[in-house]
Amino acid sequence: MNTSYLRKLLLGTLLGGLSVLPAYAAEPVRLGLIEPFSGPIASIGLETLDNFNFAVEAVNKRGGVLGGRMIEMVPLDNAMNAEKSTQQVKKAIDMGIRVVVQGVGSSNAINIIEYVNKHNKRNPDQTVLYLNHAAVTTEFTNELCSFWHFRFDANVDMKVAALATQMGRDPKVKNVYLINQNYAFGKSTQEASNKYLAERAKHIKIVGDDLIVPFGKVQDFTPYVAKIKGANADTVLTGNWGPDIIRLVKAVASAGLNVQFYTLYGGLPTTVNAVGTEDGMAVHMKQVTEQLVEDDDRKDLQPYFESYLDKFKRTWYSDRIRFTVEMFAKAIDKAGKEDPEAIARALEGMTFPGPHGQTMVMRPDDHQIQLPMVISEMSRDVPKRFIYEGKDLGIGWKTMNWVSREDLTLPTTCKMERP
Amino acid sequence: MAGCVGLSAALCQEGVSVVQVLLFSLFNGLLYGMLLFMLSSGLTLIFSMMGVLNFAHASFFMLGAYFAYEISRLIGFWPALFFAPLGAAVIGAVIERYGLRTVHKFGHVAELLFTFGLAFVIEELVQMIWGKTNKPYLIPSSMDFTLFTWQGLDYSAYRVFMLLTSVGIFVALYWLLTRTRVGLIIQAALSHPQMVGALGHNVPRIFMYTFGFGCGLAAIGGVLGGNVLGTEPAMAIQLGPIVFVVIVIGGLGSLGGALIASIFIGILTNAAVSYDVPFGPFFALFGVSSATDIGNDLVRMTSGSVSSVLPYLIMVLMLILRPRGLFGNRDV
Amino acid sequence: MSMKGLLNNYGVWMVAALIILLVPIPFGSGFALSIASQMTIAIVFALAYNMLLGQGGMLSFGHAIFFGLAGYFTIHYLNWMGQGVVSYFPVSLLPLLGGLVSMVLGVLIGLVSTRRAGTTFAMISLGFGEMVTALTLIIVSFFNGEEGIQGDRWVGPEPLGITFGSDVQVYYLAGAWCFAAAVAMYAITRTPFGRMCNAVRDNPERAQFVGYNTQRVRWLAFTLSAFFSGIAGTLHALVFEHVGFETVDIARSGFVLFMVYIGGTGTFLGPVLGAVLITWLTSILSNFTEAWYLYFGIIFVTIVMYAPGGLAGLIFMHEPIWLTDPRLLRRLLWPYALGLASVLVALVGIIGEMEMIYHLSNDITGEFVMNLYGFDISLRNTVPWVICAIIGAIGLALCRKSFPLVAQHWHQVMHEARERVLQ
Repeated sequence: MNTSYLRKLLLGTLLGGLSVLPAYAAEPVRLGLIEPFSGPIASIGLETLDNFNFAVEAVNKRGGVLGGRMIEMVPLDNAMNAEKSTQQVKKAIDMGIRVVVQGVGSSNAINIIEYVNKHNKRNPDQTVLYLNHAAVTTEFTNELCSFWHFRFDANVDMKVAALATQMGRDPKVKNVYLINQNYAFGKSTQEASNKYLAERAKHIKIVGDDLIVPFGKVQDFTPYVAKIKGANADTVLTGNWGPDIIRLVKAVASAGLNVQFYTLYGGLPTTVNAVGTEDGMAVHMKQVTEQLVEDDDRKDLQPYFESYLDKFKRTWYSDRIRFTVEMFAKAIDKAGKEDPEAIARALEGMTFPGPHGQTMVMRPDDHQIQLPMVISEMSRDVPKRFIYEGKDLGIGWKTMNWVSREDLTLPTTCKMERP
Repeated sequence: MAGCVGLSAALCQEGVSVVQVLLFSLFNGLLYGMLLFMLSSGLTLIFSMMGVLNFAHASFFMLGAYFAYEISRLIGFWPALFFAPLGAAVIGAVIERYGLRTVHKFGHVAELLFTFGLAFVIEELVQMIWGKTNKPYLIPSSMDFTLFTWQGLDYSAYRVFMLLTSVGIFVALYWLLTRTRVGLIIQAALSHPQMVGALGHNVPRIFMYTFGFGCGLAAIGGVLGGNVLGTEPAMAIQLGPIVFVVIVIGGLGSLGGALIASIFIGILTNAAVSYDVPFGPFFALFGVSSATDIGNDLVRMTSGSVSSVLPYLIMVLMLILRPRGLFGNRDV
Repeated sequence: MSMKGLLNNYGVWMVAALIILLVPIPFGSGFALSIASQMTIAIVFALAYNMLLGQGGMLSFGHAIFFGLAGYFTIHYLNWMGQGVVSYFPVSLLPLLGGLVSMVLGVLIGLVSTRRAGTTFAMISLGFGEMVTALTLIIVSFFNGEEGIQGDRWVGPEPLGITFGSDVQVYYLAGAWCFAAAVAMYAITRTPFGRMCNAVRDNPERAQFVGYNTQRVRWLAFTLSAFFSGIAGTLHALVFEHVGFETVDIARSGFVLFMVYIGGTGTFLGPVLGAVLITWLTSILSNFTEAWYLYFGIIFVTIVMYAPGGLAGLIFMHEPIWLTDPRLLRRLLWPYALGLASVLVALVGIIGEMEMIYHLSNDITGEFVMNLYGFDISLRNTVPWVICAIIGAIGLALCRKSFPLVAQHWHQVMHEARERVLQ
């Protein structure tokens, strides 16, 4: 043990209770998971950590990667703050971690992308890879695309395109009302909605298009309900999340409007739990996701879902976390070494069996995963009801239709710079 | 259809007059405004008595909602409507006795800071006890039926019950303050504390009861509003500042002012959305064009897209032009 | 040496400069350096905020707008330089430019908000804070909503080959500005204007009667504070090369208030102490507990209630003693140690209980297993609950015994100091 190690140990303890350990052969492959583990939305971060640990456990049970090395998730708290996200990347680098994972919050994501880009340019022998499992801003794989960033979730455009495709198939949808949050994400949902409804649902008329002040600032949604009614809308399409969708749904349901909701995030378990199933059913809640656990074509994964339900007392909701880990494991084995650049090249163009008998592809042009999406509807008449926090919510999700991978393969403007 | 914007555009097509839209905004604004009044009445009572702007007031609103959630799960909504505010009032009184009173001697800034910190602590304690996710506190099924339908929207019995409750609170408070002996003592303690003390009344104890009572009023708002707005740890911080705005506009220490301002803010935010007035022509006066990106953002702004920010604008203007508010008898 | 004497002595400033200079040598890692940079920024912001709160008596709930808007300006300026839209301006001098931008805003907003002090001022600041936060979300083309905007500080030829590409270089930039700003702000407190501020804070009527325009004094203090906040905001933008709406929102305004008040508003060193301590705590506490916001709030409320002078106030309470005879302090050592030890014992128990409750209500797995103080415990087991309760009770009992002891010794020592001075 030399003095420099002692010094680092001492300082590490002082400045974060972490030490830099020397590398040895059976050292695990560590992934830094940068998410909010404290603060108001820590529950999302903690749930994400549980899911990652569960997915990683499956890989480790099979013998790990690189001929016997285990994968280990290292949680790094960003308290939902953009600067702290950057700091945690620095900390991960200090700890010798070469791959960071993040997904909650686009502002955190953009900072990680930019920092990783700069760091890798300035330190070519100490590069870092960033796996994004949920930050959906389309630009991340367009103008802002980076060789070091891979997205394992459909972006805003893909999700809206999937919803628009399904709405186009449904002759009952005639008058659509758009409500979105007045900030970057809401505005891009609004633009995408206008674009893809015009392209894919030609019989539909957009009868209203509102932006609201985001993040729970609007307490009373009655005037919006009145506008929806006044515009004779039969369908609401919204990207709202959190209190902005909970209150909207409650207000629409209590006013007794007969409309159906097509949503990006209305199906999140926390939202369903807060809205209550009565109101959720009243607005015929629909959601877009990458998979549904009760679908027949997911039979091979049923044991996986069951053991998750046993362990965490909630239904497996985010399959993308599973395939993020699985595809990473496959890529590092293909690369044969824990080297970000080699792993990145292995991930480019990688295929992976997806839902609905289709293959998922990590598109090399922009590092955006290409996958089919499912549109599902809240229903009481389902074989498996949704469990959350150990409680049967009394409803489940019923597949309405699939939108194929080909239908969701959208052009990209990315001009990838490779090292 | 020329001249029709926002809701009026949609309703114009159905041949509904602008007057009806106005009536509609007024009624919905009243419903929301009276919820705000339940909070602002307690806050203004505390302020007029003690000179303390209670930053943590909305936290008691939140406590009311969480207590009601627990109690209504166990023994039903009606007991919750009684016991939840009672619990919040007791907690409020204890905080006044052992916290605020200690700080009182350091002046108003210290009191403001104390309640600011208190709001923070209560939010964290709620997270500690009930967790960080939403709680499914729902409208009692006994009142979850449509009472009447107006312009195609259903109004549930519960919303009307909320309205009646807050009207009842206003009448009761007004009667209490102006027609009873207790009210006289309270008003006297406000203007001449030494004199009231000399007459043998325990002024600090009056303060304690007032603070607790005000917190209880906020908690009634929580019991009634928690199931409409959603019960979560962030509900206090989302509603807190707007209640401040209400009592500043109404005039600190004026119960009537709080009532008028609550209804005004309720109607304003409703009408801003219903009419959805575009700001483009306004910015055009200053030569802003949609040619630049920023200009485009400004020109595309409508009153609906910024509705919840308007109250702050009005508060700032009010403080600059008339710091005592609409009906206040003294400056902030 | 008295507080003022201490700061008037060049030695103290040289030590401060030396600390800033030497930090990168032991704390060389990227994470540590970024914490150190954050500390320097927090110091500038906290000192600027204290010009308002401590010296001017103005409580602001929206001061972060001057911090954040300067940051937005800086990032835009960096990007404009990169695109060649504006002429080159040395990056190392950008904080001055950012400060001036905030100062102009300060002049405008101060014109309407400083007409009155007290609650009116606090409410107006809250209103402006909320409005600017909303605008940053709504005017996407300039602020880009919650994602914020990115910049590259490595834009041009800096003298001596300094490019600010590396973290160390930008740390020194922040450190140098921190030092300069602190010196400038200290100098301001020593001017007649600084005294005028205090007079207006303590007794506006009298100050007005003597012939000062109280509103103009507050306005000037507000403007200067905005200027220095702008410097801090610019440094923040340069260090992180990013600025988002969280730099202007009420949480940041609240946080700087926490720093200043916990550190102490009454002295120049208080905000510095608060800034360093709180920045350090926020970066490490979250590794140990999810409930750190709660502890934070409790610390703040405790200080508001029992130590309105903040930590610095507690330290400088002893000033009369060490001015008389520093050896007297030794007699306070063991009562203090005793008091501190009892508090620690009580805290171990109370925090243990709180951590367990926190885990109980936030554990979605239903396993109720956690690690407390290095022990793996099950919350279904009553033993840990009982043990923590016993430790807490013992601690509280010790506190009840030791606190009067501390007070007693304190009064004795103070009494003796006074006696000696009178002799």
